[in-house]
Amino acid sequence: MSRSRQGRKKMDPRAVWPQPVPREEREEVLGYLEARFGIPSSTFEGYELLRTAKNYWLFVRTPHLADLQRLRIQTAGLLFLRKVSEYLKPTSAALQRFGHLATRNVVELDRLTLDRLRLERKIPWEGKVEPGYVILTCEGRIWGCGLHLPGKLISYLP
Amino acid sequence: MERSLERAEDYFARYREIIPDYEGFLESLSEPLPLYFRLNTLKTKDPEPVISGLTRQGFRVEKTEIPWFFRVEPREASLGNTEEYYLGLIYPMTLSSSLPVYALDPQPGELILDLCAAPGSKTTQIAQWTEDRAVIAANDRRLDRITALVANLRRLGVACALTTVYRGEMYPLEVSFDKVLVDAPCSGEGRYRKGYEGELLYQKEGRTNLSGIQKGLLVRAFDLLKPGGILVYSTCTINPEENEAVVDYLLRKRQAELLDWEAPLPARPGLTEWEGRPFHPELVKAKRFFPHEIQAVGFFVAKLRRRI
Repeated sequence: MSRSRQGRKKMDPRAVWPQPVPREEREEVLGYLEARFGIPSSTFEGYELLRTAKNYWLFVRTPHLADLQRLRIQTAGLLFLRKVSEYLKPTSAALQRFGHLATRNVVELDRLTLDRLRLERKIPWEGKVEPGYVILTCEGRIWGCGLHLPGKLISYLP
Repeated sequence: MERSLERAEDYFARYREIIPDYEGFLESLSEPLPLYFRLNTLKTKDPEPVISGLTRQGFRVEKTEIPWFFRVEPREASLGNTEEYYLGLIYPMTLSSSLPVYALDPQPGELILDLCAAPGSKTTQIAQWTEDRAVIAANDRRLDRITALVANLRRLGVACALTTVYRGEMYPLEVSFDKVLVDAPCSGEGRYRKGYEGELLYQKEGRTNLSGIQKGLLVRAFDLLKPGGILVYSTCTINPEENEAVVDYLLRKRQAELLDWEAPLPARPGLTEWEGRPFHPELVKAKRFFPHEIQAVGFFVAKLRRRI
C-alpha cells in the first residue's frame, strides 16, 4: 500500500474506535502475559482492553468511554499486543512499560550481543528460556520484544 | 550577525517597559537556550542510572527546582540520539514548558483536553503527573504533527491518552471536559536567541493573525468545559496581544474568572494595560515568566474557571 493511501486510510471519517473486549477474552490475553512472563493480571486493573482486527490496546478505564467514542480518533491508548498468526506478541512499547514486573522469559544480553541483534535482526543464540516471545534486557534496561526459537534469537525491537 | 543583533534589539524595544531588567534580558539573548529533560516516571523513578548513562556520553546533568526536571550541558547538544531517549526514559523539554501543567493541576480520573498537543510534552507530563490515570484527549489540527505526538506517547508508554485531528476552534462539542489546556500556537518570542532560535520571529509577525487564532481557540476551549471546569491558556511569547488581550477577549465574551495558582518558578503578574489599552483588572492573576529570570523559554500562563 502506498504512503498516500495509508494517509487517506488514517483520515477515514468512518474509522471506528477499537472495541472493549469481553471479559473472557480479556482474561485470555492477560492470562497469557501472566503465564508467559509472570506479569500479574492485576497490574492492568485500571485499564480497559480494546481491540481492532489484529491489535489489542491498553486504555485507561473510564466511565466516560461511551462519551469519548463520539470523537473521531487517530489512536486510543497504548498498542499492547498484536495477534501474529495464532500467537500473541507483546509490543516493545508495552514491555518497556510493564516488563519490570516479569519474572520469567526475560533475556539479559550483553552490549555486544544486543548491538549485533539490533543490526542483524536474527542471530544464532542458545538460552535457558522456553521458545516463544521473550523480554530483551541489557545492563538493567528493558529494550522490548524478541522471539526465541531453537538455536536463534529474533529481534522485534523498533 | 551584526545585522541580526540590531534587529533583535529594535524588535524587543517595544517591550522595554514590561520586561524587568531589560538590559539583562538583551544580554541573555546572546546565550543559547539552556537544555532540560523530564525523567519519565512512568518507566523509572530512579534518576541515577539515567544521569550516569548520560554522563558517560559526555553530558553534565544536574537537578532543577522542578521535580523530575534536569538541566543538561552542553546545551547545544542533542539528547534525541541517546539511548535514554530511544527507550523513553527522558523527554527533552524546556523547564518552563512544565508550567501550564502545574496550573492545570491534573488529577487521576479527570477528563482533560489538550487542544494543541503535538508533539506531546504537556500531554505526556499530564500522564506522568497522574500516574497514567487522567483521561487525556490530545488534539492537533495537523496530521504530520499527530504522527510525532503518537510516536512520543508510544515512546513514553502512555496508555491514558487518545489522539484526535480537529481544527481546535471547531472541536466537536459532544464531550465536556473537566479541564482544557490551550498551549496556543504563538510567535515564540520567549524562545528567541540570537543566531540560535526564533529566526522565524520576524517573518511570522504580521503574516498570520495569531491573536485571532488564539481567541478562537480559547473561546472554543471554554465552551468545551463542564460548569466549574478549569481552563489553562499558555504561550511562549512576550507579546501582550497574544497573551493578556486574548484572555481579556474571553472574559468579555464568556462567564470566566481568573484564578491564582502557585508557580514553581519566579513569575511576574499579568499586565492590566498595554499601549494605552486597559485589560480586565483580574489579569494580574495571570503569570509572566521571563527567559532571563528563569533560565528557560519565556512563558505566559493564565488559569481560568468556567463559572457555574
